[in-house]
Amino acid sequence: MKREWFALSVVLVVAVLFPAMLFGYQAWRSRAPGMQVIDVVARLPEEGGFVPDRLRLVAGEPARLRLTSPDVVHGLTIPGLGIDIETIEPGRVVTIDLTPAAPGRYAFACTRWCGVDHWRMRGVIEVTGVAGGGTASAMPTAEPPLYQQLGLDIDAMRHETHVMPEVQPSAARGAALEVSLPPDLAAANRRRALAPTDAFAQSRAEAAMTSLSDRDLWDLVAWAWLRDTQPEALERAERLYARDCAACHGPEGRGDGSAGQDLPGMQKMDPAMPAGPADFTAAARMLGASDALLQGKLLRGGMGTGMPEFGSLYTSEEQWAMVAYLRGFLFGR
Amino acid sequence: MRYALSDISIVKRILRSRWLQWGLTAVTLLFFVLAILAGFFGTRAGNRNFGIVFVWIIWWAVLILLLIPFAGRLWCTMCPIPAPGEWLQRRALVQPRPGARLYTLGHKWPRRLRNIWAQNTGFLIVALFSAVILTSPGITALVLALFVVVALVTSLVFERRTFCRYLCPVGGFIGLYSQAAPVEIRVKDTAICASHTEKTCYTGSDEGYGCPWLLFPGGLQANTFCGMCTECLKTCPKDNVALYLRPPGADLWQTKGHKLDEAYKGFIMLASALVYSAVLIGPWGFLKEAARSVGSTAWFVYAVAFLGLNLLVVPGLFWLSVRLGQGRRPARTRALFADYATVLVPLGLTAWIAFSLSFVLANLSYAWPVLSDPFGWGWNLLGTAGLAWTPYLSGLVPYLQTPLLLGGLVAAVALALRTARQHGQSPWAALPVTVFCAIATLGFMGLYVA
Repeated sequence: MKREWFALSVVLVVAVLFPAMLFGYQAWRSRAPGMQVIDVVARLPEEGGFVPDRLRLVAGEPARLRLTSPDVVHGLTIPGLGIDIETIEPGRVVTIDLTPAAPGRYAFACTRWCGVDHWRMRGVIEVTGVAGGGTASAMPTAEPPLYQQLGLDIDAMRHETHVMPEVQPSAARGAALEVSLPPDLAAANRRRALAPTDAFAQSRAEAAMTSLSDRDLWDLVAWAWLRDTQPEALERAERLYARDCAACHGPEGRGDGSAGQDLPGMQKMDPAMPAGPADFTAAARMLGASDALLQGKLLRGGMGTGMPEFGSLYTSEEQWAMVAYLRGFLFGR
Repeated sequence: MRYALSDISIVKRILRSRWLQWGLTAVTLLFFVLAILAGFFGTRAGNRNFGIVFVWIIWWAVLILLLIPFAGRLWCTMCPIPAPGEWLQRRALVQPRPGARLYTLGHKWPRRLRNIWAQNTGFLIVALFSAVILTSPGITALVLALFVVVALVTSLVFERRTFCRYLCPVGGFIGLYSQAAPVEIRVKDTAICASHTEKTCYTGSDEGYGCPWLLFPGGLQANTFCGMCTECLKTCPKDNVALYLRPPGADLWQTKGHKLDEAYKGFIMLASALVYSAVLIGPWGFLKEAARSVGSTAWFVYAVAFLGLNLLVVPGLFWLSVRLGQGRRPARTRALFADYATVLVPLGLTAWIAFSLSFVLANLSYAWPVLSDPFGWGWNLLGTAGLAWTPYLSGLVPYLQTPLLLGGLVAAVALALRTARQHGQSPWAALPVTVFCAIATLGFMGLYVA
């Protein structure tokens, strides 16, 4: 009988105590006194994306996010909280400890091209001012983006250039001219409202520019568009482009990325326009678009064209840096 | 040409110990419990889940590469699936309780179902959903738990290990291929059995239970249904049962008198190996997608093709081969069909081993992280959670697969010739079956090597 009891005890240890120990260890390991712990599962967007995709935290109170992926490699960025996780590997747990300083709504997104709907893989963290508080405080009220201030209809505009340069404009050649820029081109805030083709037309009419050939003037315009942007900002934009844009717009900005081949593009708005992602090397369209227009498209997205919005993920500086980076596809680096 | 391993005193002592089966089962039960828990509660990422990695990579590798070819049905000795039912039925885990009432209705399995058709059906069902089962921890856990429940209920209603003998989908093919193993449990002298009126090997004694597999060891001719539980070694008062080392495949040399259900197990295993190879390691994404998308039109097409290949096409081609070999005297096609099907044992076993080599060595390194973090919860118990996936000996695999498959073909051809001889046919009668085997081998080689 003793043998039976021993055998039964061992079986009970295996079948009951052993599982209890496993779960107990996990509970002990997961404890985080005084800290809100949220498990977030990062699934393929077609399977639900981030679950949950709406998190509620309290400003000044520490929280721990534990991210896992059941399917493919994902990434995570929470720009407003300065968090960038390059890899959430399937079956691994990524732990992020954070203490949001200020109330607000902080968007987060996947940063890996995890599937065809990758760009839909977004979420938001609502940080309230006090524990148990109601809705999240609104983000500090910012002034409307420039395209709205200018009243630009970014869906309707075809923004084609009035004048086509005979050769591709070059910022480097423009810099070498060492010519003073007209006021509209020298001041960033005024230049952003202009399309390069308008800037060319205005400059062409100025007496000080009569000595320049059309080609030189286009080069000068190109230089004007790129000269303000700091190298560090361009490097940041380059990384963001590789992360967020290249899959559709292509690594060289030609609109030939494999992920964008089936997107409707601007044809959704105007059947006469080409389908698919924008070609940033196409002078006809890029020279007709102002920076304000490009920023608008970037921060608001394409409304059915397949272009996601990046306004919730990019700071204003990053948006302008990205616009400058996009100009570089036509004007050179 | 046999050697009685159990004549070695230490081996005999181990085999006759009542702790042997319980001890082995307790160890596998530990892993089994962990696999089910990880399946239900761990990460859905299969390569980071103990349930998937240890069931479908480690257990499968141990089973098909080591246990079956070298130890026959040894897995059935230690399998944890029927253990709860058996323990409950006996109301004991180790010691026999002579005369005690068993906790079962003790019904006999219906006579019409005393074959392995139910096992064939069960295997086909599992195989049909295998692309999902093999990659989804939750479903793997569900299937394992379901097996335990079915085994438990079966043991409460029917006598002994009826589940293992007639229902277990895994047991069917283990039994089939265990005929190729170099070990067997047999009686030493059948005359002693004949004169032993008590037949304690079947009825049980103070030393152990009557054969749980419903066999009379004295009449044992093949490993197919012997679960190697060693009860008969314990209950035989005349020390007339032994564990023998023997030439591999000795059971197969008697090629007459085989049954259709066993033949079909051979076809199902061969066709399944082909389909698994194409779906799981082949380059055809659409096939993988169809096999995974259960309920879709593509899956129904896949299911029809899978079942058709298993139940009609492969057996049909084999029947045609057997029939062609008969020439103008097609009188005994059915009997010949079942007997010639013994060629499928070496052919199928080597195909499964070759198939398993292709993914086991490639995926073995997933074992180290899941040992440290079985649930994918971020543990690192042994410090191996961060070890990266590394395929082992991938360059060597084709050099192992090719001789394996060719070895299987040679054995199959030898069996075909022997079948022809035992049925009084000319050796040329085995030619169509030989061609069938050669084509199957070429098919596997095309999938694995080319």
